[in-house]
Amino acid sequence: MLAYIARRVVQMIPVFIGITVILFLIRSPAIVPGDPVRMIVGERAISQALYDQVVKENALDKPLYYQYGRYLTRLVQGDLGDSYQLKRPVTHILFEKLPNTLKLALVALLIETVIGLAAGILSAVKKYSFWDMLVTLSTAILVSVPVFWLGMGLQVLFGVKFKQWGLPYLPVYDMTSRDFSTVVHFIMPGFTLASASMAYAARITRSQLLEVMGQDYMRTAAAKGLSRRDVIWKHGMKNAMIPVVTFLGMDLGAMVGGTILTEMVFNWPGVGLEIYNAIQLRDWPIVTGGVIVIVFMVMIINLIVDISYAFLDPRIRYTKAVK
Amino acid sequence: MVRTRKPALYGIIPALLLTGVLLAMTACGQEPTTSTTAAGGEIQKGGTLVYQIGNPSFIEPTQAFESEGIEIVQAVFDSLVQFDYLTNELAPDVAASWEANEDASVWTFHLSGESTFHNGRKVTAADFKYAWERICDPVNKSNISYHLSAVKGFDEMGEGAATELSGVKAIDDETLEVTLSYGYGDFEYVVGHPCLCPIPKEEVEKDAAAFALKPIGNGPFMVSEPWAASRYVRVVKYPDYKGTQPNIDGVEFKIFEDVETAYLGFQAGSIDSTQIPPGNVNAAKTAYGVSPDGYTSNPGAQVQLGPELAIYYMLLNNEAEPFDDPDVRRAVSLAINRQAICDIVHEGVRKPADSFIPPGVAGYVPEAWAYSKYDVEAAKEHLAKAGYPDGAGFPIIKLSFNSGPGHEDIMTLVQADLKAIGVTAEFDVSDAPTYWDKVQNGNYQIGRSGWGADYPIIDSFVYSNLASTSADNFANYNNPALDEVITAARQIKATDERIKKYEEAVAMAGEDCPVVPITFYAHSRVGSARLHDFVHGGLGMSDFVSCWLEGAAAQ
Repeated sequence: MLAYIARRVVQMIPVFIGITVILFLIRSPAIVPGDPVRMIVGERAISQALYDQVVKENALDKPLYYQYGRYLTRLVQGDLGDSYQLKRPVTHILFEKLPNTLKLALVALLIETVIGLAAGILSAVKKYSFWDMLVTLSTAILVSVPVFWLGMGLQVLFGVKFKQWGLPYLPVYDMTSRDFSTVVHFIMPGFTLASASMAYAARITRSQLLEVMGQDYMRTAAAKGLSRRDVIWKHGMKNAMIPVVTFLGMDLGAMVGGTILTEMVFNWPGVGLEIYNAIQLRDWPIVTGGVIVIVFMVMIINLIVDISYAFLDPRIRYTKAVK
Repeated sequence: MVRTRKPALYGIIPALLLTGVLLAMTACGQEPTTSTTAAGGEIQKGGTLVYQIGNPSFIEPTQAFESEGIEIVQAVFDSLVQFDYLTNELAPDVAASWEANEDASVWTFHLSGESTFHNGRKVTAADFKYAWERICDPVNKSNISYHLSAVKGFDEMGEGAATELSGVKAIDDETLEVTLSYGYGDFEYVVGHPCLCPIPKEEVEKDAAAFALKPIGNGPFMVSEPWAASRYVRVVKYPDYKGTQPNIDGVEFKIFEDVETAYLGFQAGSIDSTQIPPGNVNAAKTAYGVSPDGYTSNPGAQVQLGPELAIYYMLLNNEAEPFDDPDVRRAVSLAINRQAICDIVHEGVRKPADSFIPPGVAGYVPEAWAYSKYDVEAAKEHLAKAGYPDGAGFPIIKLSFNSGPGHEDIMTLVQADLKAIGVTAEFDVSDAPTYWDKVQNGNYQIGRSGWGADYPIIDSFVYSNLASTSADNFANYNNPALDEVITAARQIKATDERIKKYEEAVAMAGEDCPVVPITFYAHSRVGSARLHDFVHGGLGMSDFVSCWLEGAAAQ
């Protein structure tokens, strides 16, 4: 098992370096026009001395490979550079926001798991019933509706209209308030972020469960006199859940990386929103640093999923030995 | 088939979820309360005003360069002088009085001696010298050092040849003498910029990083807790403030990246003052009523649509063909239907620009820009005069602009207007940094720009955009005769006489039409129904001192 983990970790290194190369090349002035000095000191006139100072500080007069080497050396020391716009270390800026993004992704995963699985099970058990049609229709809508539209729609309905109608409402705009974050702050953004994945989880659960329920051993279990509940929970679910669990695990990584739109719509103070702003201002150190942090986290999450999967299914970790 | 009891879980899951959501909603759906009990009709004291801003890059005066940060600096710091929010007139602030020598090159400011920092220490002239030198110190790479470019020693400091501004002297605790490199009659306005305020050196030296997050100022409000990045900045009333005490207890600057989201927050009652997103102005006018003067929000007249001291204009590259020909420039200017842009794109909020100087700035003269009227026939005549009858032989030109709110809509109308006189323009859209890079390097034919005043003076528009020596003259316009007039105007000490000279400069430039004024900006904000006497001025700053909050909960 340790050899398997070591192999997976070693495989991560070239992927990570490859991503840093791509990110670094994308931000280089050779590919993206614009003077980095101007991004740092603004558009107004500055002295030549200050211009030269900024060039020197950022090694902008050196060849690209030197700049990359310098960047990578600092990166492995945990230094992502300073923001052009905010003139503060990128690590500080991102790590202020990272907990909010992680919390949102975890809440979304929870919502996805609970609602997605429940809907999928309901749909499979009540095949072709009203509930099945409802789930099928709802998942089709959730998959189709863009995140920003859903987010705005939920805010209008549960934040503005409910309040106007005198109903209990959600303070969906208070992500910036002092009491952030309480449970209520997570409901709408969590649901929005989870929406598409939740639908997929429901569909996968339904199809897997239906497939499993058609197996011979399910009929045998029923023929033995087991109750329907026992047949489904003890025999059906265990077998149907393997691909679902894999999907959920992998999806956590996707959620961490995919919060930008949700964070924007809900003004959620997370890494995604920070990256979005930085892209607009071309604050490359934040964009590059943010993407690197997200990539790193996705890689770690995927590693954990792979390892746990190896625990669940011994065939995976013994593949090499069998060969 | 074996029928079994329905598994309880199927019903429990949705029931639990629904209950949880409803409980959570109930818990948070309580109306906020205030402790104000004063009778209606009178100014009520207390309460925290919740104010929407974009995400600032900085909230301390050495670095704050966007309106978001400057608004916070304005609330927390006092400069030597201040501008009236409604009339933009100059008034004393930390300086009780001031005078200049004959050619306006040496200015002496006499401090009132009453202003204190929030740490209790008295503000002295040396605090201004320290703050200004901090801005000019190249180590700090401040984006706002240009405000002090007229001060003697500015270039030397920028080049690293000097460690202090030789032109700034603290004669004693209450006298600040500023020597300029040239006579500049408007300098008294420049020092009114919120970021040219004093800074307590001891606080910066103690912990500069802490100061950046929780600046210690000398204004009516003090920052009560470190800036919560991307979320809020909270300020509370400074109890020992010697000027007019605010009616409210404090301001919570709520940070919103997206105006649409902020506006939903306003509609839900969690924000007292916000911008109105495009497309919502007419509905907001109906729902909340329009402020008569455009600047002051009161219950029932809450929508503020007042003009700002800012202009949206087209840049023409005066150095390159075909726009090196004044007749081509005049033709372009005459061809554009500004009223249509105001009506279609800006919901009637902005007004067509008939000069390069916005109303509200002393020196604005209606229709001062000779070719700012919409006249297609006259445009065609000028085009023919330039050798392109009905556009024949006119090259296909690039209409460059940055992607951003409304720009494409405006450019679509401009493109159609140009087509009507026989000029074909193709879009050249880039993101903002790429676009500005092109403009600064002269790699464009027609572009766009916007210019807002830092201080309510005509020089802010004329010198910066039209003088050949200005780094912001992106139209690359070079008219030595105009340069002479501007230089002469800057050195005139008497305000009226100075403004007359600037008016002469504007008329000269208008005749040459180096740029094409399109619209005068106007803000579109709305205040809550509990907010009274809340002024958002033409310089884009809000008055948090005079306003007050009615005791009722947010609307």
